[in-house]
Amino acid sequence: MIERDIRLFFQYKFLIIMRAIWFVSQIVLFGLIASRMMSIPNYFQYYVAGLSVMTLYSAAIFIGFDIYEEAEHGVFEYLLSLPVSRRQLVVGRSIGGGLRSFIYVGPLIGVSLYVIGSINPLNFLVSLFALFLFSFGVSGMSITIAVIIKSSDRFDILMGIVDALIVRLSTAMYPLAVVQAANPLYGGLASFNPLTYVSDLFRWGAAITVLDNPLLPLLGVVAFFSLFTFAGIVIYEGHIEGGGWQ
Amino acid sequence: MKGIIRIVEHDFRNFFRYKWWLVGLISMNLADLFIMAIVYNKMLNPNAMGPVKDYFKFFAPGLTVTGLFASAFMIGREVNMERRREIHHYMLSLPMTRLELAIGRVLSGGLRGMVYMSPLLLTCFLFVGFPTVVQLLMILTVLFFLAIGISGLSIAIAVSTSSLEKFITARGLVYYTLFFCSSVFYPLSLIQDLGKEGKFPMVLVNLAEINPLSNGSDMIRSFLLGTPSFSPNMIISVLVFSTIFTLSAAFAYIQIIERT
Repeated sequence: MIERDIRLFFQYKFLIIMRAIWFVSQIVLFGLIASRMMSIPNYFQYYVAGLSVMTLYSAAIFIGFDIYEEAEHGVFEYLLSLPVSRRQLVVGRSIGGGLRSFIYVGPLIGVSLYVIGSINPLNFLVSLFALFLFSFGVSGMSITIAVIIKSSDRFDILMGIVDALIVRLSTAMYPLAVVQAANPLYGGLASFNPLTYVSDLFRWGAAITVLDNPLLPLLGVVAFFSLFTFAGIVIYEGHIEGGGWQ
Repeated sequence: MKGIIRIVEHDFRNFFRYKWWLVGLISMNLADLFIMAIVYNKMLNPNAMGPVKDYFKFFAPGLTVTGLFASAFMIGREVNMERRREIHHYMLSLPMTRLELAIGRVLSGGLRGMVYMSPLLLTCFLFVGFPTVVQLLMILTVLFFLAIGISGLSIAIAVSTSSLEKFITARGLVYYTLFFCSSVFYPLSLIQDLGKEGKFPMVLVNLAEINPLSNGSDMIRSFLLGTPSFSPNMIISVLVFSTIFTLSAAFAYIQIIERT
């Protein structure tokens, strides 16, 4: 299942190219120019690190669209007929969704580190682990929402709105202190956002910012991963029998 | 003329079938304005922004143009889908001339963009300020021509690409180049300064200067914020863009759709 999902993802070569264009243009156009208008020192490096996490998030979300494609084209019946248990099928999908986004974002993270120009090896390994868990968690969240909603249009809309809110109400693009100063409600929401945790850890790993206690964001990522991976598995498993996914 | 009206009606019906999609898109645009712009406001370098120190007010006109661009571009996706599913044979069989069909598609794409953009423009007026009646008419006219040009650009790309993936990739390239090399998100002077320092290719600086998205946003800013100062070049740039892409789209639509 994991192998199949990874192969499937890399068949979307135009989507992959488009994401890569988006990533590069965000760095060389938006990042470069926007950093000029910010008073925060090294905002360019700050933004590039956040961009890697945003890209990982949007790649991991994509597994939900695959589920709709399979339901529409009748591939789901084929998957159910394979000689694998239901549990293996579901766990495989969840791991495959996270792993393929991680493989895809790997080279882009390499580009980011080259642009940022600094790294703290030990911290970076911890942040890489957090990114890994985060991609599984997002993949699980996407599967959970996809099987609950059952309409690809509604899923598309909801994921767009969730994306807009989860990215903007996080520290992917700006520091938490600035978000809190702008609006305490936004600051409160950003403090409990998994994207905030993983962005902060990645910047800490890339030696851009310092974290007083990296364990707290790491625990936040673990909690997010556990909730959505296991919830995703349970809900997906419950929906695949008797045409419940239709 | 009747044929053009029929096509516009057909495309508007299609447009309102995606009402929830439109609600989602507007929510995303408003999240950009009411979250991102408000937070950016707190970390702005006042020296870099020129006379406008409030990013929210600076960005609101840019967001209106962004929304117009995204919605006017939607017609391309439909035209591309019709071509792939061979629905264009049905369109060609309708009792109207090829020119009416092509003009109807470009016009409806632009009008749909105007409809979508209206709540964003109203939000911009509510938070930034209201223009005079003459200025309002000028804004609406220029944005209408901009929408027609965008619709034309989108149709030209849609009929020239054989698959949805190729269309999406081409659209992404156009989107990011036109959005980021423009004054939608930041003042034009920042891009020009980077160009003078040799940190940004001059070709992209020139693109930002003639970019209709820059000129559309800056024209609204010139009326509502008083800066940058209004220049007839802002209107000329949009009109040239609109003329080129409306004619290219009509020509490409007639030529390619008959061939396939």
